[in-house]
Amino acid sequence: MGIMDTDRTLPTNTLIFEVRRDRKLVERFANDLEGLMTQYGLSDVEKKALREIDLKTLAGLGLHPYFLPQVSRLFKGTGYNHNESAAARLYASKMLAPGKT
Amino acid sequence: MADIVSVLALAHAPGATGWLDKAPRHEQDGIINGYAEMQKRLAATNPDVIVGIANDHLLNFHPANVPDWCVGTSDHWEGPAEWFRDWVNVPHYEVAGNAGLGRTIVRESGKRGFNLAFSDKLLFDDNWSVPLHFLTPRHDVPLVPIHMNCVLPPMPSTQRCYEFGQVLADVVRAWPEKKRVAIMATGGLSHDPGGPKYFGVDEPFDRGFLSLLNEGDPQKVLREITTGKMIAAGDGGTIELLAWFVALGAVGKRKADTAFYVPSVPLRCGMGGVTWDMQSKE
Repeated sequence: MGIMDTDRTLPTNTLIFEVRRDRKLVERFANDLEGLMTQYGLSDVEKKALREIDLKTLAGLGLHPYFLPQVSRLFKGTGYNHNESAAARLYASKMLAPGKT
Repeated sequence: MADIVSVLALAHAPGATGWLDKAPRHEQDGIINGYAEMQKRLAATNPDVIVGIANDHLLNFHPANVPDWCVGTSDHWEGPAEWFRDWVNVPHYEVAGNAGLGRTIVRESGKRGFNLAFSDKLLFDDNWSVPLHFLTPRHDVPLVPIHMNCVLPPMPSTQRCYEFGQVLADVVRAWPEKKRVAIMATGGLSHDPGGPKYFGVDEPFDRGFLSLLNEGDPQKVLREITTGKMIAAGDGGTIELLAWFVALGAVGKRKADTAFYVPSVPLRCGMGGVTWDMQSKE
């Protein structure tokens, strides 16, 4: 899965695109994810995957690769994003085979 | 008429400002000294304005409407965009633009077959925030940002990028202002944000690419560095080198001079930069 597999029409792509551009949407992502997902027309499969931070499923649905670690940062914070940061570890735990860094 | 006094290309990875302390000392020194060398080379050409080309990173280009390039046509810019501020770890900054040059690029490139979008509202992330932090830390050189689609298929081909660089250079030189212009491509080298090589770099690819640029044979670069090879070396990150192909079109057969290269796994990027001496003959 990579950039060539992106589905531009996937509602989750629009949601993540717009959230990063708007502080109020970042707050809604944290406080009203269900309402936000409904507003953007996510399918039940997308909703379940985003709710559970199931990055592999989101990637398989066509979420752009850039947005996968950005989802992890929306949940775990953006600052000091080194390889051992909570956000990077979340991404790794969801996307990589055990033992891979 | 304007002069193109400098062309450069360099990595903009956020780890350089966001978590450099996590890299071993020799990597930190190589990156800091490398950017300092780039700053020195740029300053020596005393530019009045920088025309930048960099990946938009899906920050301004809505998935429903993605241009190949979008020229910034404002006299004033600021960054980093709010959500990216902690990540990039660069304080808020303001930098002048040049709406006249931006509009000229849009208008005149259109006559040469390049249908460029334009905007006076562009959010900046690491694409400009990191290079400007190191190269013009006082933010005292105006910037005309050209955002491009490097990562949402279909991207412009390497050949198309190269041809845009040729047109861009012609258009800048024909701009009826007696100004010294630098062209700065940012992005790359190998990295893979969110992809299977997220925690790695492809040093052999990077060194091969830089070596090719040092030869001064753009047709050979176009033959050997395909979109497929860039994607294989890091998918959505390495493909940012499409911006470097725009720079390549602007320099023709001049040889690149590598200022630095540091393959840094802690920064998740092959960090490097090159300049071209525009006083040298093609």
